[in-house]
Amino acid sequence: MNGLQVVELLLFPGLTFFVWLGFVFDWLDRKTSARMQGRRGPVVTGPFGILQPVADFFKLSSKEEIIPEEADSFVLRWGPALYFAAPAIGIAFIPVVGPLGILAHPLDLLFMLFVLSFSTLMAAMLGYASGGRFSTIAVGRLVVQYTSYEVPLLISMVTPAILAGSLSIGGVVAAQASIWYVFLLPVAFGIFVVSSLAELEKPPFDIPSAKTEIVGGWMTEFSGNTLAYVKLTKSLSYVFLSALAVSLYLGGPGGPVLSSDVFVQGALYGAYFLAKLFAVGFLIFAIRTALARVRIDQAARLFWTVVTPLSLAQLAFAIILR
Amino acid sequence: MPFGPVHPSLKEPEYFKLILEGEKIVQVVPRIGYVHRGIERAAQERTWVKNIYLFERICGICSFAHSLGYTQGVEALTGFEVPRRAKYIRVVVAELERIHSHLLWLGLVGHWAGFDTLFMWVWKDREHVLDISESITGNRVHKSYSTFGGVRKDLPDDIAAKLKPELAYVKKRAAYYSDLVQSEETMAVRTKGVGTIDQDTARALCPVGPLLRCTGIGRDVRKEDPYAAYDEIMPEVQTRTEGDIASLLSLRLAEVLDSCRIIEEAMEKMPSGSFKTPVPRTVPSGESAFHVEAPRGELFYFVKSGGRSGPERVKIRTPTMANILTATEMLKGRTLADVPVVLTGMDPCFGCMDRVAVLDVDKSKEWSVSGEELRQLGIDYYGRGRR
Repeated sequence: MNGLQVVELLLFPGLTFFVWLGFVFDWLDRKTSARMQGRRGPVVTGPFGILQPVADFFKLSSKEEIIPEEADSFVLRWGPALYFAAPAIGIAFIPVVGPLGILAHPLDLLFMLFVLSFSTLMAAMLGYASGGRFSTIAVGRLVVQYTSYEVPLLISMVTPAILAGSLSIGGVVAAQASIWYVFLLPVAFGIFVVSSLAELEKPPFDIPSAKTEIVGGWMTEFSGNTLAYVKLTKSLSYVFLSALAVSLYLGGPGGPVLSSDVFVQGALYGAYFLAKLFAVGFLIFAIRTALARVRIDQAARLFWTVVTPLSLAQLAFAIILR
Repeated sequence: MPFGPVHPSLKEPEYFKLILEGEKIVQVVPRIGYVHRGIERAAQERTWVKNIYLFERICGICSFAHSLGYTQGVEALTGFEVPRRAKYIRVVVAELERIHSHLLWLGLVGHWAGFDTLFMWVWKDREHVLDISESITGNRVHKSYSTFGGVRKDLPDDIAAKLKPELAYVKKRAAYYSDLVQSEETMAVRTKGVGTIDQDTARALCPVGPLLRCTGIGRDVRKEDPYAAYDEIMPEVQTRTEGDIASLLSLRLAEVLDSCRIIEEAMEKMPSGSFKTPVPRTVPSGESAFHVEAPRGELFYFVKSGGRSGPERVKIRTPTMANILTATEMLKGRTLADVPVVLTGMDPCFGCMDRVAVLDVDKSKEWSVSGEELRQLGIDYYGRGRR
């Protein structure tokens, strides 16, 4: 790893860039749903309230941290770091300003599968470690939900890889130079978005963090700094999954080449990427605003009887197409 | 698992002990008394007129129903006839309150089912109703409008022109919402067949209002024992037979539409004349019982006068008090995810309902506690905690 890569990893287009994107996503999410609901959303902090998520983060991290007696204080204190690590590593493989991600590897799509599972595993661990009754029930729900959405999510990630004949994100992006897979595999794209909603615990699948039922879900016992980081991780995952959708189905940063200059073209790629990312983001914001929460048994039934067979059909279609 | 007294989905403190098997609810034990305010006792210390404003504060949603129940109860004691115009105005305001209460509830169901968009939309539309209330009575919520012998002030001159477009808007939105809650897939699966209650259970547990009507028993005080001007403007009693949350949704929205019709009819037939007759400040001794149909169901007022400047005793039975046992029955066998939706189905108002009784179950003894004893109890309790 050379010096440039370290800078890329930490600043642009690595961690710092994606964390800020996470804040922007949070703001856009709140703003979009507010507009759809006839409200104004954040307006005070920064222009159009864009700094509100940042202010929220710093305010929360400066608050008192309370660790319950029955909780495993070591896990509660340091677990969020591992939880944060999952999407923080994942984003390093997403191509943003060029055809390849910073840590691109021929098999990095497989690693993405691991990162997604790891993130849920960490959430379950944090929930159990905090020891409250609400958290315990939430983790039960989280695991049930995980077993139902994981299969379609994995299949909908593997489907484009089969079509592209490559297990690397860069390879899938390169194979979409002529046509984006969202046009070839629209159903698989839909399944990816739906499963992402479940992974992100957004309505209609916000079952493990259903506020009106189990208070804060598995995050109930978290407070102060650790809660700030858990929430930051959630918005980072938001961006990470949207970025994966862009890479696998919308051709990543690909678009018309307008300049021979590396930096100018790099900036153009970045702009293409951001435009697509926000498009996917708006799709997710709209879905989550327009739907009510389903019950856990209804979610499991939906995933096993409708979504999984559909994703298998789409997989078969991809194999035939290839 | 504890559900309350402090819980994000409960807007008022009340404790429900849920005994769960996994996600399934085996037993529900409600424990009331967290917001007991001693209003019935406070009423005995106040004058007749002051009590109107006190009783209004029992409930922040059906405040007019409370003042209506009390003033009509006292009017029955004094034997004074209320002018017809005042009766009509009372109907208009009571029905406006019903619309606003039902819309508020609809929004809350959306919120409790995880559908915040519905909540925001409905509450925005509810503002229209509150605006009309404000232009008629001067206040949005605590209207302080009904008084002995009529209402406090006359309708404003331009109210008919103002009401028309607003009612048309409310009707349009109510029709849209009743379509939305049925056609929206996620909302439908959360409410259809959830919290079902049959007629026999309903008869045994005596719920009131929409909770009773959704089982097919069409009881409505406005129809059965008309007060104000309901004998001239008949409400259509809405009933459903399914007895689940979805039927409550459609029933309450149908009632909103019916209330709009009643208001329109009342405005059309609005008699001219005085809106208030002067009444004496003394009330002869005697007892009267009066009930009105509050948005949540039958609201019962018992007033006893001893010829003093204030009541001897006032007993209030709010609809939530009658409904809470039914709600816990509806919860049994459901899953944890259904708790907020089912509990909200009765449109709970815990503040209205809270009662306190001090008793020893083992010795089957019941006694009263004085204010001084309560204070000492608190000092002992917190003193122990500190040590």
